[in-house]
Amino acid sequence: MRRMNLWYVAALLLALLAVAGCTAAPVAPGEAGAPAAAPATSGEALTLRLATVSEPSTLDPNLAEDYYSITPIEQMFLGLTNINNATSEIEPELAESWTVSEDGTVWTFNLRQDVKWSDGNPVTAQDIVYSVKRAVKPETASPYAYVLYSIKNAAAINQSEAGAYDIDTLGVKALDDYTVEFTLESPASYFESISSMWTLRPVPSWAIEQFGEAWTDPANIVVNGPYKLVEWRPGEKLIFEKNPDYFAADNVQIDRVELSIITDQFTEVALYESGELDVAGEGAASLPAEEVARILADPVLSAEFHQGPRASTTYVGFTMTKPPFDNVLVRKAFSAAIDRETMVRDVVGSGVPATQFAPPGIFGAPDPEVGLGYDPEQAKAWLAEAGYPDGAGFPTVTYRYFANSLEEALAQALQAMWKETLNVDVQIEAQDFPVFLAGTGPDVPVEEMPEMWRLGWGADYPDENNWVYEVFHCTDSQNRPRAACTEADEKAKQAGIETDPEVRKALYAEVEQLMFGEEVRVAPYYHRGYTILAKPYLQRAYPTFAPVNWDTWRIEK
Amino acid sequence: MLRVIIRRLLWFIPVFFVVTGLTFVTMHALPGGPFDSDKTPPALIQQMEEVFGLNRPVPEQYLIWLANVMQLKFGPSLSARGKPVEGFLLPGLAVSAQLGLFALLFALAVGVPAGITAAMHRGSWRDRSATLVAIIGVSVPAIVLGPVLQYIFALRLGWLPVAQWASLGEGLMPYLSHIILPAVTLGAGLSAIIARLTRASMLSVLGEDYIRTAHAKGLARRTVTVRHALRNALIPVVTYLGPLAAAVLTGSLVVEQIFAIPGMGRYFVTSISARDYPMVMAVVVLYALIIVGVNLLVDILYTVIDPRIGHGN
Repeated sequence: MRRMNLWYVAALLLALLAVAGCTAAPVAPGEAGAPAAAPATSGEALTLRLATVSEPSTLDPNLAEDYYSITPIEQMFLGLTNINNATSEIEPELAESWTVSEDGTVWTFNLRQDVKWSDGNPVTAQDIVYSVKRAVKPETASPYAYVLYSIKNAAAINQSEAGAYDIDTLGVKALDDYTVEFTLESPASYFESISSMWTLRPVPSWAIEQFGEAWTDPANIVVNGPYKLVEWRPGEKLIFEKNPDYFAADNVQIDRVELSIITDQFTEVALYESGELDVAGEGAASLPAEEVARILADPVLSAEFHQGPRASTTYVGFTMTKPPFDNVLVRKAFSAAIDRETMVRDVVGSGVPATQFAPPGIFGAPDPEVGLGYDPEQAKAWLAEAGYPDGAGFPTVTYRYFANSLEEALAQALQAMWKETLNVDVQIEAQDFPVFLAGTGPDVPVEEMPEMWRLGWGADYPDENNWVYEVFHCTDSQNRPRAACTEADEKAKQAGIETDPEVRKALYAEVEQLMFGEEVRVAPYYHRGYTILAKPYLQRAYPTFAPVNWDTWRIEK
Repeated sequence: MLRVIIRRLLWFIPVFFVVTGLTFVTMHALPGGPFDSDKTPPALIQQMEEVFGLNRPVPEQYLIWLANVMQLKFGPSLSARGKPVEGFLLPGLAVSAQLGLFALLFALAVGVPAGITAAMHRGSWRDRSATLVAIIGVSVPAIVLGPVLQYIFALRLGWLPVAQWASLGEGLMPYLSHIILPAVTLGAGLSAIIARLTRASMLSVLGEDYIRTAHAKGLARRTVTVRHALRNALIPVVTYLGPLAAAVLTGSLVVEQIFAIPGMGRYFVTSISARDYPMVMAVVVLYALIIVGVNLLVDILYTVIDPRIGHGN
């Protein structure tokens, strides 16, 4: 019987090989047996192998909204200005210089004259005007159009019915081929930061008109930055090559970048360890806490490990119109009961504890932090003062979050901390992300709202205006906690208009303290961190504020 | 035979309407939409929904979708800002089908001989160890087996790559070396099921009178096993293999994630949580087509294996 089995197995193996072989390309004998991709070697083309957790949803600068799309866009399309990866400061990119009128409402950018698109056309002020108009038109439906609302008439045009507007009333025009002028609704110091954003980067109107949505396909794409997309294999990888027509191409060392789509972070680290990736963990999400612990315990990996803060904050939101969280003492008690150090060290595994909303590296973020920190005794006192001594008589309330493993661990830790310090029972409730969002939105009836919920914010541009004003202003933002207007909202608005940087900083410090230290609209408890493994031969910056610039990276072997 | 095929194909028409109609209505009944985000103001979300026609009544949207499908257009992926869903699904299906084929071959190559051995030596150590392995194979999920195989064969021994896909264009050896671990992970549970089925069905066939007759007339044991017993014993296996093949050939989210395989399995799950309606619909239609196709193939195979199964009337 044994003989028959062997015969059977052999036949199937043969069939298997035949199936594989019948469509196989001829292969040189020498190529066999080297499963792992050859590491990038010096000499000829230098290749950098990176990973992304998610496929980019678009490579069109006017339409992009997520980290996975913005990162490749940053490499292909130049901004008016750039955020320096090391200092987080605004520096010239397309614009060599810029001036602001006396009243702060007219911004004039003078462009470099030596920048070309990859099809040979010059990059001109008209390309920027085209891009801004395209991003603002309602037909384009850009999810980031709102960051341009400080431009004159942008909000009105963007919110009108399709076709029922005059695009030429938009506050942007080309004074000549290399000068572009923005007129704002009101003074806005943060417009310098906004000028670095992808949403208003020049795009090639002729390519968009010729190819429509397919203009960013590898065959059609026209770029002006250091890298160009040459191949996109859906679900697998994007391949970029150095753009020889980039004006500073001489300063770009790495010839080719392969951006593989690796959804599983454990797989990503394993690929890094086996030498098939040069960097791991460079995603919007930090590496899982158990991987971080393993890396730190490993002598080789820990030397290649980099971590630091990233411009992103996670908080507990309170429904301020729903008892018992309509009482500021209850909100204070719940915020002060969160042991932020323990959270960061034991549950998340990365990041830094937070007591205020805006993280370090954002212009206007108070340093040292203001707001409310972990103080169990004070938390108990506040809850007692609110009428619930040692949690007596406190109703069962709900904390809602969206389902993933980190959020589940965080929710359980919060629940335990509130129980231990305040002796209150909190139900935790996980939902699928779209259901969660729909169920905690600003227009959900208050009786359907959970008392507390998880949310966070990541920077779009490095200025406090993008934080306290655009997220929490009582009328000009979504105001998810449903806060009533106070002096904090006044000051947040005023700080955006103010032109003196020192005055702005002082105002933002007051706003942060009022919103999160006194009124406690939400309880910020940690700023997310980056956790990146990078091979020692790679020299690069680790920016607090993404996105990275591959053109500044070096492979030194 | 031809009549059967035509009848089966005609059946696809009502199946198509029931499956797509139900899916369409259910998907749109789920709370949340494809463009929901905590960052985007509600007015802008509405704008995007208008651009993609999501503000129209659901029945109207369904009719528009039907009209497009008649022209073989499955619409724009809402998660990819309007890129056609075919651009993601078809390359994904090509990869999943190759991986699935290897997984099936592996499962058959292991499962059928193991099942036969166990049946022929019923109660012996071979039977018991085959059963034990089968139980382990069924109960260890891919999410455990995959990383274990990765650790042993890629990270420790360095024999095979950790993950990722290599197309045949990159050479036969890279292609095979990248496909082995995910194919084994995907096929392991399957081989265990096949082994158990084969064993059970072999045992019942071996007790039949005609097997005794065959032995009695002095045929070699091997001839009896292969030509008489196995042929009949395989019928339940083939029946079971049909729907199984449809599932395996269209990919598995878990295996694709662990091994970073650009297959289509991910779209079954991600398109639903992303509320990417056109992608969900395309996946459902594709899957229904494959199920119907595979079942048809199984019916044809029956007549090859066992001519007694006729379809004349």
